[in-house]
Amino acid sequence: MSTHYKSVFYLFLLPFFFLESRAGNVFSGSTKKEAIEFLDQIDQTKKSQLWPNVKPKLFYDNLKLNLENPMSFYPGRSTNFCAYGALSYLVMEKDPLGYVRFMNDLYDKGEAIFNANHFKPSKAVMVAAGSLQFKGVLDIRHAEQVWFLVLADKFKGYLNFFNKRYHDDDENSFWAATNLSKFNRMVNKMCGVHVKAVGSDLIKPWVKDPYSYLQKRIDSNIISLYINNRIIHKKNHDKIKFSIPTHFIILRQIRKENNMITLRYWDYGGETEMQISTGTLKKIIFGIITIDK
Amino acid sequence: MIGNLFTVLISCLLLATSCSTKIISTNYYQEKKGTVDSIESRYEKLNARKPFAIAFTDKKLNIISLEMISDSLTRIYEFNLGEQRLGDTLLKFNYDTAGIYYLIRKMQQTKVTWINSVDYYVNDQPQQLIYLSIKPVTIRYLFSPPKYIALGYFRTAQSFDEKGRLLDNRRTKQVRKIKGQVFYRITDRICYTITDKYR
Repeated sequence: MSTHYKSVFYLFLLPFFFLESRAGNVFSGSTKKEAIEFLDQIDQTKKSQLWPNVKPKLFYDNLKLNLENPMSFYPGRSTNFCAYGALSYLVMEKDPLGYVRFMNDLYDKGEAIFNANHFKPSKAVMVAAGSLQFKGVLDIRHAEQVWFLVLADKFKGYLNFFNKRYHDDDENSFWAATNLSKFNRMVNKMCGVHVKAVGSDLIKPWVKDPYSYLQKRIDSNIISLYINNRIIHKKNHDKIKFSIPTHFIILRQIRKENNMITLRYWDYGGETEMQISTGTLKKIIFGIITIDK
Repeated sequence: MIGNLFTVLISCLLLATSCSTKIISTNYYQEKKGTVDSIESRYEKLNARKPFAIAFTDKKLNIISLEMISDSLTRIYEFNLGEQRLGDTLLKFNYDTAGIYYLIRKMQQTKVTWINSVDYYVNDQPQQLIYLSIKPVTIRYLFSPPKYIALGYFRTAQSFDEKGRLLDNRRTKQVRKIKGQVFYRITDRICYTITDKYR
């Protein structure tokens, strides 16, 4: 089916404006120290036949890096993994031991459970992991390749309707795409936390003053934003653009000076600081996801 | 009468949507080779000292988006070229102000809309590619997307197949895509593609 028909189909699948998920299986919580101790006991040289392209050294070095610096998760250049990147940030905040234990089980057995969610990735995903190339530093981060591919393989939303099975290069396609309600569902199921979201996939949230709304919540919650990145990160010089959200970020700081807003957010393996007008802030936000700390 | 007019309008619309943007010069790189290569080499030197990327975000190439990249933080600020704020910011973050101003002017004159350094890995070792986009003169039909010429400058010689397509490496015949695009040979370390997006 052509992209045009797909787009029309998606337009008819408008999700709800206000989405709320109650806490699922709540984490017992764990610490970085526990996770490092667990990792130190494992034979990190073993090769897994289940993951033919994953190199043990790159896999376990990557897990260590994730523990040492949780902000280093890098969803890769030109992929549709940004939502899974934002989710990683939350998982590492809540349960680092759960993460490394899950990844080790997945590597050893080809299936694993994370917070009562059973993962058994497809053969195609297991072959693809470790072979993604030209994605920046993700090329040599074999644990992150496994993690992002497995998450995309497991969680499905309406954007994945026409492409549910992984084929080569699908990390860049609708196979990996995430809409707002899918993101909320993933956060709720993986992190077991209360998630409240305003906004939708096509229409902006009915929030009169997004700056005040965010400012009020940022200290007591983790805030994720679903934004139209094409406005602030233009890809062509056309003035008329189809306004749709394209990117998930974790908001870290927000401040206002002389009608200019400075946003500091986490997305691709690090923090970005950006100055935008209050009008642009309103224009780019499609979803505000408030997550319990 | 109105019915006929409607048919003509619909026909025009269908015709327009079926036409794609045409780049006037098919030999843009060869015509501007000297200037484009000097922009690339100047950027390479400045970027090695302190990483950054520059994009022109408006059609008239008067507004730039400057990405100042450090290990812990990337700052993305937008400036009008006439603004004093641009120079102040470069100075504040210890960039070579004169060098970057010169680069911006050259980019503007040559219609280079984006320049950036891209990392990739061969045998698990980091490599660097400098990627720049040029906004050529085009004939655009209604609803047809814009077109840019993107150039990739590799540090080392690359492998290409008999059709001139960039390959992953000498051992495989797999075509390497950069940002989802197939690139074609200009020299053994420079390749190009035509794309709808400049970055």
